This record gives sequence, C-alpha cells and structure tokens, in this order.
Amino acid sequence: MLTVDALSHTYPGSSAPALNELSLSIPDGEVYGLLGPNGAGKTTLISAIAGVLSPERGEIRLDGQPLAEVRRRDRRAIALVPQDHAFYPMLTVRENLRFFAGILDLDGAGQAARIDECLAFACLVQVADQRAEHLSGGLRRRLNLAIGLLGRPRLLLLDEPTVGVDPQSRHFLLESIAALPAAGTSVVYTSHYMEEVQAICRQLAILDQGRVLLAGSLDSLLRNQETVLEVAGGALPPLLCERHGLQPGEDNSYRLSQAGTASLAALLADLAAAGIALEGLQHGQRNLEQVFISLTRRSLRD
Amino acid sequence: MRQLIALWRKETLALWRDHHGLAALFLMPVIFILVMTMALHDAFMPGASIDVDYGIVDLDGSVHAQRLAAQLDGNSSFRRQSAGDDLAAGREAIRDGRLALVLVVPAGFGERLLLPSGSDGKPTAALTVMLDPALNPALRLAFQSQIAAALGRLRADELTQRAAAQFGLSFAPGLQARDWPEEIVSIAVQNTRDVRPPSSVQQNVPAWLVFAMFFVVIPVASIFIVERQGGTLQRLSSMGLSPAYLLAGKLLPFFVVNQLQALVMVLVGMKVVPLLGGEALIMPAGRGLFWWWVVAAAVSLGAVAWALLVASLARTIQQATIVGGIGNILMGALGGVMVPRFMMPATMQQLAEWSPMAWGLESFHQIMLRQGGLSEILPGLAKLLTFALLALALAVWFNHRKTQ
Repeated sequence: MLTVDALSHTYPGSSAPALNELSLSIPDGEVYGLLGPNGAGKTTLISAIAGVLSPERGEIRLDGQPLAEVRRRDRRAIALVPQDHAFYPMLTVRENLRFFAGILDLDGAGQAARIDECLAFACLVQVADQRAEHLSGGLRRRLNLAIGLLGRPRLLLLDEPTVGVDPQSRHFLLESIAALPAAGTSVVYTSHYMEEVQAICRQLAILDQGRVLLAGSLDSLLRNQETVLEVAGGALPPLLCERHGLQPGEDNSYRLSQAGTASLAALLADLAAAGIALEGLQHGQRNLEQVFISLTRRSLRD
Repeated sequence: MRQLIALWRKETLALWRDHHGLAALFLMPVIFILVMTMALHDAFMPGASIDVDYGIVDLDGSVHAQRLAAQLDGNSSFRRQSAGDDLAAGREAIRDGRLALVLVVPAGFGERLLLPSGSDGKPTAALTVMLDPALNPALRLAFQSQIAAALGRLRADELTQRAAAQFGLSFAPGLQARDWPEEIVSIAVQNTRDVRPPSSVQQNVPAWLVFAMFFVVIPVASIFIVERQGGTLQRLSSMGLSPAYLLAGKLLPFFVVNQLQALVMVLVGMKVVPLLGGEALIMPAGRGLFWWWVVAAAVSLGAVAWALLVASLARTIQQATIVGGIGNILMGALGGVMVPRFMMPATMQQLAEWSPMAWGLESFHQIMLRQGGLSEILPGLAKLLTFALLALALAVWFNHRKTQ
C-alpha cells in the first residue's frame, strides 16, 4: 500500500501550488488510475513518488516505510516511465536496454536474460538492433515501457504512456499494462484519457489543481443515482416536469433523482402520450467525463 | 562500477555516431593546424624575406645613388623590382599593384650627400618613399628604417674615404664595394642547448589543440540536452544514479577524447606538416613530456566543465551550439589561438589574461619553448583547475534548479 499524506509543492516562480495538501492511498496489486486535466498535478505527484522531486511538505510511505528507506534498500523497487521518450535516440533498442540495465546494476547473465524478456514482453524483438530514432511513435512508447520493467519493479509509475500513439499500439500498451499486476508489479497510471483509465483501472483518483477531488473504485465513482433524459424539440411542459420531479439541465436535458422502475415507466408513458421524442436516457451509470464535469463544471480536456 | 561502465559505453557510442561532433573535434583542428602553419610559416622565422616588392626611381644617376641601391639590395628584406625611370612610372607601378613601395632618389643626391639641408644656403631634396596605402604600417616603417640605415652607411663610407684622401692615408682597394656585416642579430631565448626560435608549427599545434579541446562543448551539450529534454535525466535519477556518477560518466569519456585529440594533433605536427614543407613539431622529452601531458589534462578538465556548464544553461541544442561555438571563438581570439598574443597590443594582451585558452596555451609554450617545469606552469594550471571547479559547481547548481 502506497500512502501519500498531505503532500504540498509549489514550483519556483509559480503562484499556484502544483500539489496542495494531497492525500491518497494506493493499494497493491492493481492498476491505479490518476485522472485529471493538464496541470492537475499528476506528473508532480508521480515525480515525488519516483523520488526525483522533493516536495516541500508531506510524506509518502510504501507499506508503512518512508520512500527514501524503501529506495535505499532496493533501488529497483519503484520505476518511472516518464511522459517523454526517456532514452537515447542514437542508440539501438538493445543498446538502450543494456545501458539502463547497467545503471540498475543488473549482472551479466541476468542482464542479458532480462533484456530478452523485456524485448519479448514489449514485442520489440524484431527491431532490437534498430536505432531508437528510427522507430515509430508506438514502438518508442513500447521501448519506454520496456526500460521501466527492466528491474522487475514492485511499483511502476506510468506518466501518460500512450500520448501520440496509433490505436493499435495503444491497445497493445493497455493490454500489456493491465497484465502487469498479475506478474507482481503494481501500476500507477496517469492519463487525461478517461477511456483508458476506465478500461484498465479498477481503482482511481481524480485530481484537479493539486488536490484529490474524488477517489475510490471505478464502479463506485461511475454509479449514479440520477437519471438523465435528453429530449428533442424544446422544453418539456412545466406540468410534466412538476409531476415527475424533473430538474432542467443543459441542452434539453433533464435530471431525475432516485428514479425507480415504476416512476421511470410512468414518465416514459407520459412522454409518449405527449408525443415527445427521447434522444437519450442514462440510468444508474455515468462516465468519468461526466463525473469530472459534475465536480468542477469543466471538461477533462480543458 | 557497472554503472560507470554503462555510462562510458553510452557516451562513446553516442559520440561515435555523431559525425558532426567528430568532425568538429578532429577534422577542424587538423585543417586549422595545416593551413595556419603553412600560412604563417614565414611570420615566425627571423630574417625571412618579406613578400613585398619595391622599386627605385633614380633621378640622380650618381655613383652614390647606385651605391645606396646596392646597399638596399644587399641588406633589405624587401624584394627589388624595376620601377621605371621617372616619377610617373613609379606611381603607375604602385597604382597597378606591381610594387608596394618606390624610393625616389632626387637629383643632386650624390652631390649633397654630406651637406646638411640648407647649410650652404641651398635646400636639399629629401629621399621620398611612395607607397601603396594598403601596405601594413609596420612594413612601411621597416622599409624606412632600412633606407635610413643604408643612407647612414653610405655617408660613413663617404666620410671615411674623404678623410683618408685628405690626410693622405692609403685605402684598401675594393673597400667601397664591401658588404657591411649584419650589426644586429636576433636570437630567440629557448634554453641553454637549443637556441632555435619557435616555429609556426610550435605556435599552431598547441593553439589549435587547446581550441579543439574546448569544442567538446558541442557533443557534450548535444547528449546532455537530449537527456534533459527527453526525461532521461529524470529516469536516471529515479533509478538512483547519483549526480556524481552522472558527472563522472561524462568527464572520463571526453577526457579520453581530449587526450586522443592531443595525440592526433601532435602527430600531425610531427609527421604531416613536414610533408607539406613546414618544420616538424618538436615535443619535449622526459619530464617535460609529463608536464606537457599535465597541461593537456588540465585544459581537458576546463573544457569538459565548460561544456557541462553550457549544456546546463542552454535550453536547446541550437542554443548550446551557438553559445558554445561563439564562446570558444571569443576565447580563442582573445587567448592567442588565432593571433599569437605577442602580436597583440598591450591592452589586448591584458584582456587575454581572462581567456582559459590563453592559460592552457601559455602553459604549453612554457614547456615547449622555454623548457619550463612545474613552477612555470603552476599559475596556468591553477587558473584552469579553478575555472573547471567553478564551471562544474555552476553546472550542478543550474541543473538542480531546473529539476526542482
């Protein structure tokens, strides 16, 4: 269990804090999602967990031990896969892996075997002797991930790992990442792509302006007690709204709280009788974008 | 140790594949050494002829005018060509660029050789020098000095002969035609055994070597900026790589590159320059060679530290190339690489004291030209090492500030 306790940090020259008393508990054996718009503090939090940034206040512990202590005992325990292509374009794929394996102090025979495993895991065997600068965007992302896995980390920090890749590579990366907890590597996955987080994370936190807005299981966050209707052809008659307790929303949408099967059936019957066409009906579930908008009144992509 | 080996291997591979960087480090200085050594070949040779043509327009036609011309022919470093018989021809020869200087010997020169102007109530026409306005002022002065010297000898001869005739003394036959011995001889003080003056190659090899060593700024900065921009430094830091290891990982490969540069430049000076007609580089022997290497090592430390500082300050590779390149050219121009310091005016020589390249070059010269030892090179070494430490400290500070 990774626990982040009241973490605060402000970059020099910035008036707003990048992290503002941020607290979070990240369980083991999962792909944990950190979702938030650009500037929410995801990368700063990841950098603090990776040990490359010293936050001004707060503490991070892994299984109750301070991170510095964990890292001192095993510096391969936590691995960072930065947002950019953090390797050497002028070196080949294998040379890059050999270099980072050397930095992780992997010994000769073990090093070669681990490099081969990582090449196979990331499907990079065919391009192992190509220079990294000649790889496509998707293959570069795979190499970035493979380097992160060299030391068999307990915790892998992935910072926006699918930015700028084609759909096929994205699918491959997401599948590979989702399989990591089974191999003993917990994952913290940051993204501003809600579809990705929704696809591979069972637990997640939504960040904005350096704070945690909401944290919990994906199911609990998406569960919705509200029913949302979208109707065609202008506003509903006030009498109908009053009878069913409909609250007007944006763009001809109406919200209905705690709707049961019977009340929903009655509403649909009245709409049909009044000749009002229904454009959309959402009941019991919402997506992460809607969760974020309901919390901040802003879109995730703003 | 495995970490250091990985870092050294990575830097070596990266540099090996950077063809522009290799050209800047090895090809550029070799070309500079060959071109500048041959171009400045005569500038460092005392008594070498000066590549400037002059002529004499003799309006007097006396035996004295002919003897003045003979004096100049015998002792002048300038090359005499025909200038015609009158002023107009002399002017024309300068205007069309055939001659840079024309000495006009006025009518009556022989008659009034020993008469000061106006002492008999008549004016004496002066010797006139017509010159190309583009001629180096130092060469103009040198030519005038040679005329003045020749005139002095001519007058002394004339006085001696007239005095001998007046007092009835016998005069050795053929004396008029004799050559005066060279009265001032230049000797370069090098050491007790070897009095040869420094040759062009001994100025140019260490000068361009120091210049080339500082050009590690280009590959060092290129790799460092790629590492910083791509997040590789962040990744290495998260892997627990200490800044000291990172620094050592860069210092040693480029230190080795600098030593290879030294070897190549010295071999070019010793083996290639003589093939092109220049003088071979003479390297110190024994302990001198060791001190020479110590200077090369100190220059290398300064160069790599400077490169790391530029890499830390620059945001892009283009910025690093411009700042590093211009910085090097300024240090080279100030430090006596392009123009030897002794040719600079006093103010510029004082300014040169601020160039790290001058510290290295001066230390090389102390060993190569004056057979200096540790005490002679210590000031230069101390300055270079202080510069290296300061640059490293600043580089570390700037990097720390950027990552926080």
